[in-house]
Amino acid sequence: MALDGIIILDNTGRPIIQSGFRSSTTAYPLLHIDAVNNALQKADRSADVDPVIYVAPYNSANPSACCHVEVGDMRFLCPISGDVDPLFAFAFLQTFIDILREYLGTVSAATLKDNFDIVYQLFEETLDAGGHPLTTYSNALRDIVIPPSLLNKLLNVTGTNFNSTINSGFGAGAAAGPFSSPLPWRKTGVRYNNNEIYFDVVEELRAIVNKNGLVTFSNVRGRIEANTKLSGTPDCSLNFTNSQVISDCALHPCVRFQRWNRDKILSFVPPDGRFTLMDYTYSPNPLPSQSQVMLAKNNVALPFVIKANIELEDSGGSFDVLLTSRYSTHALENVVAEMHLGQGAGGIRCSVSRGSGGGGFINAGGSRNLETGGASNGASWSFDSRRMVLRWEIPIVSPSSSWSLHGSFSTANRVPRPSHVIRVRFDISSHTYSALKVDQLKVVNAKESYKPYKGVRGRSSGDVEWRW
Amino acid sequence: MSVDYLNTITENASRLGMRIQESISEHTRDINLAQSNASYFDADDKTKNIRKQLDSSSDREKLDAMKRLIALISKGRNVSEYFAQVVKNVASQNLEIRKLVYIYVLRYAEQEPDLALLSINTFQKDLNDSNPFIRAMALRVLSGIRVPMVGNIVVLAIKKSAADFSPYVRKVAALAIPKCYELDESHLPSLIQTITTMLGDTSPLSIGSVAVAFEAVCPTRLDLIHQRYRRLCKLLVEVDEWGQIDLLNLLLRYTRTMLPRPIISSNGEEVDRDIEILLSSVEPLLQSRNPAVVLAVVRTFWYAGPPSAYGKIVRPLLRLLQFSKEVERVTLSYILVLARTEQALFAPHYVRFFLFSEDSRQIKAEKIKLLVYLINYENHQAIFRELIEYTEDANDEVVANCIQAIGKCAALVPESMQQCLAALTAMIKNNHDVVVSNAVLVLKHLVQTQLSQTSKIAGPSKSSINIIASLARKIDDIHHPQARACVIWLVGQYCSSDEATPGPAGLTEWAPDVLRKCAKGFALEDVLVKLQIITLAAKLLVLNPTDQTLILLNRYVFLLARYDSNYDVRDRARVLSSLLLGVAPSILASYDEIIPAEERGGVVLRNEQVKVVLFNGKANISVSDNTEHASNATIGSLGVITGKSALSDTVLPDWLEKGVESSLRDSPDDAPAAPVPSSMSSSAVKTKLGGPVILTPTIGSSSPASSSGNGRKWASNLDEFFNEAAQFEEGSSEEDDDGEEEEDEEEEGKGGTEEEEEEEEEEDGTENSDGSERDEEEQYPQTKEANEKGYQAFE
Repeated sequence: MALDGIIILDNTGRPIIQSGFRSSTTAYPLLHIDAVNNALQKADRSADVDPVIYVAPYNSANPSACCHVEVGDMRFLCPISGDVDPLFAFAFLQTFIDILREYLGTVSAATLKDNFDIVYQLFEETLDAGGHPLTTYSNALRDIVIPPSLLNKLLNVTGTNFNSTINSGFGAGAAAGPFSSPLPWRKTGVRYNNNEIYFDVVEELRAIVNKNGLVTFSNVRGRIEANTKLSGTPDCSLNFTNSQVISDCALHPCVRFQRWNRDKILSFVPPDGRFTLMDYTYSPNPLPSQSQVMLAKNNVALPFVIKANIELEDSGGSFDVLLTSRYSTHALENVVAEMHLGQGAGGIRCSVSRGSGGGGFINAGGSRNLETGGASNGASWSFDSRRMVLRWEIPIVSPSSSWSLHGSFSTANRVPRPSHVIRVRFDISSHTYSALKVDQLKVVNAKESYKPYKGVRGRSSGDVEWRW
Repeated sequence: MSVDYLNTITENASRLGMRIQESISEHTRDINLAQSNASYFDADDKTKNIRKQLDSSSDREKLDAMKRLIALISKGRNVSEYFAQVVKNVASQNLEIRKLVYIYVLRYAEQEPDLALLSINTFQKDLNDSNPFIRAMALRVLSGIRVPMVGNIVVLAIKKSAADFSPYVRKVAALAIPKCYELDESHLPSLIQTITTMLGDTSPLSIGSVAVAFEAVCPTRLDLIHQRYRRLCKLLVEVDEWGQIDLLNLLLRYTRTMLPRPIISSNGEEVDRDIEILLSSVEPLLQSRNPAVVLAVVRTFWYAGPPSAYGKIVRPLLRLLQFSKEVERVTLSYILVLARTEQALFAPHYVRFFLFSEDSRQIKAEKIKLLVYLINYENHQAIFRELIEYTEDANDEVVANCIQAIGKCAALVPESMQQCLAALTAMIKNNHDVVVSNAVLVLKHLVQTQLSQTSKIAGPSKSSINIIASLARKIDDIHHPQARACVIWLVGQYCSSDEATPGPAGLTEWAPDVLRKCAKGFALEDVLVKLQIITLAAKLLVLNPTDQTLILLNRYVFLLARYDSNYDVRDRARVLSSLLLGVAPSILASYDEIIPAEERGGVVLRNEQVKVVLFNGKANISVSDNTEHASNATIGSLGVITGKSALSDTVLPDWLEKGVESSLRDSPDDAPAAPVPSSMSSSAVKTKLGGPVILTPTIGSSSPASSSGNGRKWASNLDEFFNEAAQFEEGSSEEDDDGEEEEDEEEEGKGGTEEEEEEEEEEDGTENSDGSERDEEEQYPQTKEANEKGYQAFE
């Protein structure tokens, strides 16, 4: 019972790289690749494929299942046999992908092919042949699998024995070699000339607004991403001025759980480099509530309102959507509103404008491919005829401004069947819904004293489903 | 002017750039740097050179060859023919080459056992290397070579590595045990011995793998855990995340097998002390960032904890829903299993299960099921409204699920029945077929349930008859065949009435009209509908055999049916018309005159008998819930997700009647910390807090020699490590209590050289005119850059 391995498929469903499989038949990985490709072919939307696919036994092999996730233009498969919790596979896949991201920057078929030897080594070090994760802390991994860099390539191709430090083990070089640190997540002997530590407070809002314009569900999930460049073994303790807005958090293993639960102080010895310190949920109303009224109060105020007037008739429909920002200080950026128009939609005629006055009236013909409307004050619309999605983009919605989209569409079927939802996504920089504020960070270092530069910034995004 | 100047500069720059490029490409032509690794992938398979390259003396050539081999493996080629050449490089001084060689050897050792044996000497030598990484790697390759002949060597190597001072090597040793066992089961006794020793390991790094080995090799020897149980519980928090999962599963199994079941009585719960130890030490792990760890803890609480502790698992589970859509999908299925028995746990959080339009089909289906489970008097309004909005989903399956869910709502919360019926009747007017047909089906179901319930007490309730009446009046608007058939059946079944109506006696006034409308378009109807029309006609005639219009209508319908192209329709017509012979022989008159009644033979039924045949004996509606059989599903098992129970081979053991003697778990090394559970958990805290340990002497400035010496000491004596850690924590927790002392300590930490700078973090980051800020900027030139990126400095 374990993870059998990892297979990486490209966007055509062909395997690019796969880890070694211990299982009896060589057909085993192929069966899983087939199962996933078949499922993908059958589904209308690739999102509709069940992430856990049952793979029928072949010959005498045990039945197994294939857990898979989509990453960029690729799909990562993790076959499991025996009774394994699929969450185990997904957690591992996620960890592995994070590691790849740290090593390669962007994870795509091209970068993986470019660094396939690194990927193979990572397979080897993160997953034991028996199917159990081995080393997944990136600090420890970096000691044993050297991240790709130009210098590295140079040294490698010239045949220089770059790894002499590793080879000679203890006593040579500043770093004591792999696995010498008593803290598995932090390597020893880290040195920086400029000591810095940065925190990004990132919050994401998800909400549903029902047909009456009432927020029925809203949830703000935040995370604190840290980037540390601190020498030695620093012991940090971070506290907030308003920690009561945080509820239900998940912490990086380096954080002392008990200390947080007792004093609401994040006390930790950070790994070197980037990591996610904690995840949390923002609760506007700290008291847990059960009743309906209280739940309503627990909702976060949305940064915009939509007035949608959409009329469906035989073989088509018309729409008139008005989006108004409710924020007076912050601008919404990269606003994207999407509307699924249903099968057979086409013949879109649209105009986007800003406010009541500005903006030109642009019409675009009903070609079947990606129809693109012109831009008016930066706003634009397009229609993805593959996904049947009308997309309305506004780069910046400045405070209190309002924007409108109106137009019509036709459908091949007599009865149009759009999804009755406008999905709006946006970003807001230097803003957090919770206004979570860092009070202070103490860095204590046993061996050497330095005063690091400490920075914090906030950023938020949102994904709101507005029904009409 | 300035433009000219600029142009010259750019020109010069580009010229310079070109020259640099030229010279670089000249110098690196050898090193083919420009050719990226991807070329290994795309290059044609010039495999001839590989052999030569592997034999060459240059590391560069070898590395190139190895990369090409790995690329070929990646493409699915069998490159085992190079095994001999590759094995020669197993002792290469270059670690890069060596790692690739290991990868290769592991893949092909089985096919080339003889050649693999050649390399074993090298690995054995490596087991004594001073670098723990090399030792571990050697052991991994050694245990990965699945050649039975090496079994003994592997056992020895495992035994040796199990006592290694590096916990990483011990971890690898533990992971090698199952492989060795798989290879040759005769090594069992010595492997169990090794596991027993390793269970005493205090390093949190390796203990998780020991649990893996235990489960694979000797899962029934839970008696080995007795003395270690409490210590393992305490260790849990520090174990690495993957180890936590394995260890938790082992401890849960132990608890279920060896400890008494928590007793729930009216005056509270009685939980064994050792269960409390387990629960209190795993509770912090509910805050893990790893979803699999969270689930393992949830399992522990659910299957070993008392019901009062269940509340703690709710929020962590809900948190998993936000992790990723895959995790959400799996977690929803688990929540469904939990909600089936403890709906009150999740009912207050029903909003978390509202559907997003972009959710995948499985997620939507699970969420709808969950909402139905969670419905209660308080939340039925909200859930109900949501379900109605989902009927506009673009996916038919979701719409169907939803409308069925609405039906179930009405059954679960009787107060919502009226609302439900209203909503469903409204849906019949919808212009989507799916909505209409499903609404009618559910409506039929509801009406039937209602009628069967009320008919026991009094006659059919007025309201449901009214619904049928309204359905009957809308028969022209209902186009979906199944729905139409359904309505017609309902009309026929419930059309009897004692009230005086303008129409035929004994019938509701709307029933004959339905028949009239249907008869008109009979030829164009779907088979399903035709069958129901004939049945309706027969039923109406039986209830009122004398009405002339009905007889005529019947005659018309039966005539059409008799010559229908579908044999089912013809058969049904034949059966019914013979059945009706005793009721109204005249309907057949038109075409049966030729056959005299006496020649026909068979039994002719009386009116009452025909009525029984036509109306009674309808099967009571049974609520078929196909998920019901899975009620004994275990969360955290694959079977719950795929719906294939064959995959769930691990069934949690049931509790013993009485647990085993608690004193078995007393162990000498626990003695000081044992007395009260609460103190146990706090001592676990201590070790955890001490864990990160500033005591680490291996920091930069210290000399390498001393650092290695210290590392050795620590690794070899972990008990000391933890004692020290505990002491440290005691010290620091005192400081926490006392603010003054803490400040002192902090000043010490900073060497007492710098004044603390008082600096408020600015709300907007716009006004930073503080003097100290400027100081800092001078001190740290990167500040400016950081500020540009939007970071605000803070204290």
